[in-house]
Amino acid sequence: MAKKNDPEPSEFLPLTPAMFHILLALADRERHGYDIMVEVQERTAGEVRIGPGTLYGSLKRMVASRMVEECDERPDPEFDDERRRYYRLTDLGLRVARAEAQRLADLVRTAKRKKLLSKA
Amino acid sequence: MGESNRSQQPITESVSVRLYRALLRAYPSDFRDHYRTELVQTFRDCHRAAYARTRFSGLAGLWLHTVFDLVHSASIEHFENLGREDEAMNNLQRQVIAVLGCIAIIIAAFVLQAYVRNHDVRSLLLFNYVLDPLVVTGVVGNLIVFVLVKATSFNAFRTALWTFLTVSIVLLLVAVLLGLSVDPAFRFGPVLIGYVVSFLFWVGVHWLWSRGHAEPQTA
Repeated sequence: MAKKNDPEPSEFLPLTPAMFHILLALADRERHGYDIMVEVQERTAGEVRIGPGTLYGSLKRMVASRMVEECDERPDPEFDDERRRYYRLTDLGLRVARAEAQRLADLVRTAKRKKLLSKA
Repeated sequence: MGESNRSQQPITESVSVRLYRALLRAYPSDFRDHYRTELVQTFRDCHRAAYARTRFSGLAGLWLHTVFDLVHSASIEHFENLGREDEAMNNLQRQVIAVLGCIAIIIAAFVLQAYVRNHDVRSLLLFNYVLDPLVVTGVVGNLIVFVLVKATSFNAFRTALWTFLTVSIVLLLVAVLLGLSVDPAFRFGPVLIGYVVSFLFWVGVHWLWSRGHAEPQTA
């Protein structure tokens, strides 16, 4: 649910590719930094690789703009590593991710209409 | 062969991690201090994965990507910090100008007051009634406003409004009490007008200032 003081998702658009990939990685569950990198790399079949500096720089800005937050609760101790910080999507982050996905979908629709994309 | 690889891995890993840790100096200190552990841990994980995948060719690729990422992200972080420093510097400049402006007004009023008294300019006598409170409320009020704005997150204009209202009333009461007790020819009307004009003048100055340099973060 949108909070009263939350900014509009459109204020953050367009997102940088790294930010959008991070939001996508966090869409299903909370993750630590390396887990985000691996998820992005696997999901894009190695096409997109986010380096540590870009990853934490983006996370810093996303935490500051309240799209992402550090988790207070630790995951299952068996899989936990005390040195790591875990991040999760906030409600604002989810709405920004949706808005960006919609923006990209609109662009793709336009590209299709202009016959820039094959039907396959 | 397998054992040799296993023994080489910790050596290459520790050398790489040390080198990466040294390269983190490229980042601004606040970013580095906050994320150092995670950056190093993430790099170590990447290093292990790259080595496990393709041994040394994987490490070459990792280093190429890491150096590019480091140069790119460190530039962004420094650029952001430059923006913040500029903003802080602009705020400081504005505050210095504000303080100097108030001091200049007070000195000008003080000089005029001295001139009027020394030359006994009768046409400016009412003006003299204004200059007194202008100097006194200016010194006291601006000092209080400056301290309150610095020490709290109060809105600057509202702070100035209430401060000058309070200071003007208190000083007017003091002036009336003193005047009535020491001066048989004390006239309340001009003194009241002087304090009202002085109040309006200083509140006006702060209003103009707050309009010219709106600070939306203050509630």
